[in-house]
Amino acid sequence: MTTPEPLTLDVREELHRGGEPLPRIMETVRQLAPGQALRLLATFEPLPLYAVLGRKGFGHQAMHHNVEDWEVLFTPGTAVPEQPKGKKPHTTTVSTSGWPAPSAFLDNRGLEPPEPMVRILDSLEHLGPGEVLEAINEREPVFLYPELEARGAAIHTDKRDDGMHLLIRRGA
Amino acid sequence: MPAVSDRLSRWTPLIFACALVNFLLAQTLIVAGMTWPEMALTAGSTLVTVHLITLGWLTLLMFGALFQFVPVITTKPLLNQWLSLAVLILVEFGLAGMIVGFLALNHGASGLVYCLPFGGTLVLAGVLLAMGNIVTPLLHSRPLALPGRFVLAGLAFLLATILLGLTFALALSVPAFTPLVAPLLAGGVGYHVLAGLGGWFTLTAIGVSYKLLPMFMLAPEERGWWGECVLQLGISGFGLSVSAGLLSVWWPQAVLLNAVQYLGWLAIVVAVMAYLIDVLRLYRTRKRARIELHNRATFGAFLSLAAALVIAVILVVSHRLAAYAPALVLLVLFGWLSGLGLTQLYKIVPFLTWIMRYSHQLGRGAVPRVQDLVDEARTSPWFVIYFLGVALATLGAFINVAYVCRTGVTVSAGATLGLAFEYWRAWRGYYAGRARPVAPIPPPCLSRGGPAP
Repeated sequence: MTTPEPLTLDVREELHRGGEPLPRIMETVRQLAPGQALRLLATFEPLPLYAVLGRKGFGHQAMHHNVEDWEVLFTPGTAVPEQPKGKKPHTTTVSTSGWPAPSAFLDNRGLEPPEPMVRILDSLEHLGPGEVLEAINEREPVFLYPELEARGAAIHTDKRDDGMHLLIRRGA
Repeated sequence: MPAVSDRLSRWTPLIFACALVNFLLAQTLIVAGMTWPEMALTAGSTLVTVHLITLGWLTLLMFGALFQFVPVITTKPLLNQWLSLAVLILVEFGLAGMIVGFLALNHGASGLVYCLPFGGTLVLAGVLLAMGNIVTPLLHSRPLALPGRFVLAGLAFLLATILLGLTFALALSVPAFTPLVAPLLAGGVGYHVLAGLGGWFTLTAIGVSYKLLPMFMLAPEERGWWGECVLQLGISGFGLSVSAGLLSVWWPQAVLLNAVQYLGWLAIVVAVMAYLIDVLRLYRTRKRARIELHNRATFGAFLSLAAALVIAVILVVSHRLAAYAPALVLLVLFGWLSGLGLTQLYKIVPFLTWIMRYSHQLGRGAVPRVQDLVDEARTSPWFVIYFLGVALATLGAFINVAYVCRTGVTVSAGATLGLAFEYWRAWRGYYAGRARPVAPIPPPCLSRGGPAP
């Protein structure tokens, strides 16, 4: 059986216009044939996508051709499972089975508290009922929990080497 | 998911307010010339002032901060929020009892002297409750992160300090008890001070700073073997010097005890130096280019700690520690510990205010940023004035010129008042209110008790 050719998606123009290409990328990923890779052309290294697609088992290989010209090959089945050294992964008890794929992504690393919380709650208000937001924080968002509880949202946290990965589902 | 009440310590703002009042009161007594350096070190009013600062200001400040930040460090709730209020009441009433007892000591009012051990017992009860409240989440969080382990060690030293203090109180007020601990009363007070200022305040302050500095400067929180060294050397340093020192009160000629004591001193010096170097590394490896005022001003506290370390080494080596110990204690209390407290409060107060008042509005309308609650340009002179006052007071204490020392404390007291006013403005949303309408003031228990409207 031959491996299908990678599917190419160019989001550079959309990024230049200030658009948000994540939904289109996720849609394209869904359309990939089994075993097919995604060749993504972007204006910057899409670090957040590594985490999002890594969860789906995609490994990545990035090439920096020029300023604002990145090519990243996402190949299924090559993701290295992230396992913190010497530590058990910390995961909350909320199960994410039955949750839809995230429709928004936030990389909150490098932001001072409470900015991550501000961005998450802001984004959450723009999601439809039942939709999911994915975020990476530097730390466990202890002050966020009560706010989510008050808004009827659920959260799943997963502590990894590169930060605290959060999946937050807006209440119905 | 944790409940709302798990994350916010609802009594912490009230505890901070009471602590600040105690600090201002203590400074007022010094400014009025009612304490050392005008009066004797052992004068009742001097002891009142010292305990207003150590118990009323610094211990309450530390408890208020720990009640808020231990649940953040451990992601586990306090044992009970109401315990925090009970701690405040017990420590304040206990302190009041001690104050009456100290004053009675000087005035020969033998009946009232009993207030000293009675007040001390109330303080002990408050401290035990506080420890229960803080240790519970710490023990539920395994493996315990470095800041939490500093706090546990600090609390152990606090208990030792309070028990020593209570022993002194009994020795001073119950004649039958006095002969039993007479040597301790004569030569052990210094170790009570060392256990409190070093073991309790300094170790805990280091632990809290290891959480707060990386959190707001976005520096790496993992301190690795270096942080581990600071902890182990700090614990063994203060532990050895205090315990060997206390034993040497009974066996002053024991060479081994003296050697152990010096070993302890050496460990303290290395621990504090390692910590200060680590602080510099924290600042250098931060991801935030701009440092906010509280972390710029904290340099005054770190400089004070470094100066205190150098001076202490010189005094120990030249065998002049006993003569200049009060001046050294003044520098540690005002420069390092109160300096760190006042500067970190400038972040903690607006941060808590913001979480309590605005977090439930996020995503639903315009919300001020945490930085909108403060006016750094207006506040920064107060920090400069505060540390200049401390430097002057320390100089006055070392050259033994009382009015210079008092002038310095007057300056720092004025700055403390100015800073207290700025905390109050942050809490009331004064600066945020200039730009946009603010949320209603929270109820007196200072928290949001339930889901957001």
